[in-house]
Amino acid sequence: METLGNATSNALFLLISGDAELWQIVAISFQVSITAILIATPPALLTAFVLAYGRFPGRRVLISLFSTLLSIPAVVIGLTFYLLLSRQGPLGDWRLLFTQTAMILGQIALSFPILVAMGHSALQSADRRAWETALTLGANPLRAVSTVMWEVRFGLLAALLAAFGRIVAEVGASMMLGGNILNYTRNIPTAIALETSKGEFAQGIALGIVLLTLSFTLNALFYHLRGGGQPA
Amino acid sequence: MTHTPLKLHFNDVHKRFGRRPGLIGVNIQLIGGEGTVLTGPNGAGKTTLLRILAGLEKPDRGSVDMGLGATRWRRCYSDLRTSILYLHQHPYMFDGSVSSNLAYAISDKHNRCLCQQRISEALKWAGLTAIADNHAKTISGGERQRVALARAWLREPRALLLDEPTANLDPEARTRTLELLFRLKESGIALLIASHDPHHFASLADKHLQLTQGVLAEEFSETSNVTPFRRTHP
Repeated sequence: METLGNATSNALFLLISGDAELWQIVAISFQVSITAILIATPPALLTAFVLAYGRFPGRRVLISLFSTLLSIPAVVIGLTFYLLLSRQGPLGDWRLLFTQTAMILGQIALSFPILVAMGHSALQSADRRAWETALTLGANPLRAVSTVMWEVRFGLLAALLAAFGRIVAEVGASMMLGGNILNYTRNIPTAIALETSKGEFAQGIALGIVLLTLSFTLNALFYHLRGGGQPA
Repeated sequence: MTHTPLKLHFNDVHKRFGRRPGLIGVNIQLIGGEGTVLTGPNGAGKTTLLRILAGLEKPDRGSVDMGLGATRWRRCYSDLRTSILYLHQHPYMFDGSVSSNLAYAISDKHNRCLCQQRISEALKWAGLTAIADNHAKTISGGERQRVALARAWLREPRALLLDEPTANLDPEARTRTLELLFRLKESGIALLIASHDPHHFASLADKHLQLTQGVLAEEFSETSNVTPFRRTHP
């Protein structure tokens, strides 16, 4: 077993030398998670808008439901989709288990409630006059929705980052639905789990550094876009 | 800017808030080029009435006649929003420059070049040219009112409903706002102004309405020599 110092220096070497296996894992991770967030975001934000601005029976129940789903464990999502997609499951004929598509489905299910709950919170805090002013100035409903979303774009961007952070680092659903197949479904968290279980820490630490760098970069970008934390 | 003469009739408008009555059988008409001042104490229903007329709130009951006979409310929301523009007491400014706020009122209808020309005209019309590039959320209350009126001028509504348009404005800003309102009225737009201070709008008012506890109780014409009050609801 490597010492922490050795493992860290080996990890840095792997990153700098452009280790093909390591960067393939990073690429799969990004490909799956970005696809999931791109698919989940539009319907999730529209749902958030309807919950924030609509008045219909069951609205409060739905808001509570999405808030509850914020803390759903990734393995529960993984188990649910595993049962649906396995050979004996109702969607078994689609033969999606242990594919990137299955991982994407799991990550969509994980990110959707985060986007809805945080998006709803951001949209609810928006000044209602924005919606009304847009309508009275002749905007059609779609344009008025876009206008309100633009007004609270930093809150929505925070929701997007939180959702992306959750799915890019989750291990439960990816392991169960992707199967951790090298060069196909092995992503950063499943690779870290595997390498750690083998006592090979270098690749795990290297991938951990990638995740931390990603987190720092996204947060720095968000901070910059908000104008360095200055109030609007 | 010219408009075809407008007559909008709103009949028997009712609105309740739980058990509390908001509006009770209000009848009101808006006529192009005419200024109407609506007064009443706090909670009388002035803002509710304006928002209902603008299609932003649903009445419990009532009908609208836009010149084609009485129509139920739910069938004419989009027509109301097309014809009538409601200005909040504190007009909302979208995130962006004053110019981009003006562009919002026309960007659906015009090409880019024409849009720029219209914005320039609106800036000049409202005396906003000097602050065209300023961030709209940082401008003063009086400037906000003028931006809102310039948006209205660009939008070309048939009727403009204003909720306390000169509240919290200094005398100079109030005068400039009134000047713009006068020009909008002259162009044929019907004005309905809700205010606690009707004397501020004496130069604009052709008609005064009094709303008390949801009932449009008194009405008199500024130009009429007959008894100034006429009950419109029992």
